[in-house]
Amino acid sequence: MRIDQHPILTFERGRQIAFTFNGQPMKGYEGETIAAALHAAGVKELGKSLELHRPRGFYCAIGNCASCQMIVDGEPNVRTCITLLREGMSVETQNGKGRIK
Amino acid sequence: MKTKADIVIIGAGISGCSIAYNLAKRGAKNIVVIEKSFICSGSTGACGAGFRMQWGTEMNCRMSKFSTEFFENANDILEYDGDIELRQSGYLMIANTEKELAQFKKNIEVQHACGIPSRMVSLDEAKEIVPHLNTDILSGAAYCGKDGFLNPHKTTDAYYKAAKRLGVEFYTYTEVTGIRVENGRIMGVETNKGNIETRIVVNAANGWAQGLAKLVGVELPLYSERHQILVTEPVEPMQDPMVMAFNLNLYVQQTPHGSFIMGRSDAGEPRDLRITSSWHFLEEMAKTIDKVLPAIGKLRVVRQWAGLYNMSPDRQPIYDKVDGIEGFYVACGFSGHGFMFGPVTGTVMAEMILGLEPTIDASRLRLSRFAEGNLFTEPSVV
Repeated sequence: MRIDQHPILTFERGRQIAFTFNGQPMKGYEGETIAAALHAAGVKELGKSLELHRPRGFYCAIGNCASCQMIVDGEPNVRTCITLLREGMSVETQNGKGRIK
Repeated sequence: MKTKADIVIIGAGISGCSIAYNLAKRGAKNIVVIEKSFICSGSTGACGAGFRMQWGTEMNCRMSKFSTEFFENANDILEYDGDIELRQSGYLMIANTEKELAQFKKNIEVQHACGIPSRMVSLDEAKEIVPHLNTDILSGAAYCGKDGFLNPHKTTDAYYKAAKRLGVEFYTYTEVTGIRVENGRIMGVETNKGNIETRIVVNAANGWAQGLAKLVGVELPLYSERHQILVTEPVEPMQDPMVMAFNLNLYVQQTPHGSFIMGRSDAGEPRDLRITSSWHFLEEMAKTIDKVLPAIGKLRVVRQWAGLYNMSPDRQPIYDKVDGIEGFYVACGFSGHGFMFGPVTGTVMAEMILGLEPTIDASRLRLSRFAEGNLFTEPSVV
């Protein structure tokens, strides 16, 4: 779902770009966050809870919580709600606290 | 609140709680511990949670071995209903100069003479132990797998509960406002909640110890300064041991939760009781980590805090009674390693106060060593 019309905000959408989500090709727009592109594509589950591994989705949307942390281009714990989408990005769901190299 | 006690201990960190427990276990009665805040609210609760046996002097090796062996069995000995969360996952001491490496080699001879299972490790082996270590800047390392971590709050709680079961009374949020002395003898303690008559006072206030001593006109050669720590976001387990460096100036451990806790010393800290946090520490800590353990440098910092080091001229504690004021004992000046020496502090002080044969000879840590010019210099302190 995308909000196309809003009484206060305007959306200046950039060009359409390609990225992958768990290896699947996806489309999003330049200028939007990774989480926004996934949400628009119907992806609601962004990760798993740490203890019980239950689904975790879009939550605070301002980079304060850890609900949208994903592995982006191999880097874990990326807050996808405040990270802009780029052409060719590899976005993966993360289970656990993330492994750094 | 009692109005009479045989022994009043001031400070309920690891030292005060361990002294109280050790006294009560040896049969002392009527013991009171006074704490101006809550149990473990001072330096113990703010510490880096590590313990090690890798020291450079025989006495510190023996004392730390004694403490370690106690920690290994502390849940049982103290009959704790919780868990002190002991993890013997090692200390990797890293050197970046030949001089420091030579010191490590000397230290290890002393450690081996005390039966401590430490060893020198090659840089390749150091990298196997801690894969994200930047060995390019190092000259060598030493390792002891029996060193490790335990939870300071739980450990103090274990001592506190054991002491309480033995009849020790704890008065928290109670501040000592005066210590009564008559004819060179301790007569009582005054607090904001009332006065207690006693003939024995034990100053276990660490950061606040020199201020307390001033109440009876004693100048202890101590000062306090904050030392800061930060904690990062958690990641999956990747570092077993504490990584510690004197010259590079850092210590860093990964907690069971996955976060990294790290600290370093900062020259030129003000000598007072402030435990505020600084940007300077964050910047210097980040630079050090980027250099030594670059992978961790990517992690986000969650928060930072500080605790007081109570510094003595030779960075060693004072375990003694004060000449000229009968009944006034001090266990302070821990200079950053009071938590890991907690078991030995309690044992030494309890035996001293009760006039028992010492289990460990700690006479080198007497107060008069400073006036005598007989400092006890330990080469391996942060």
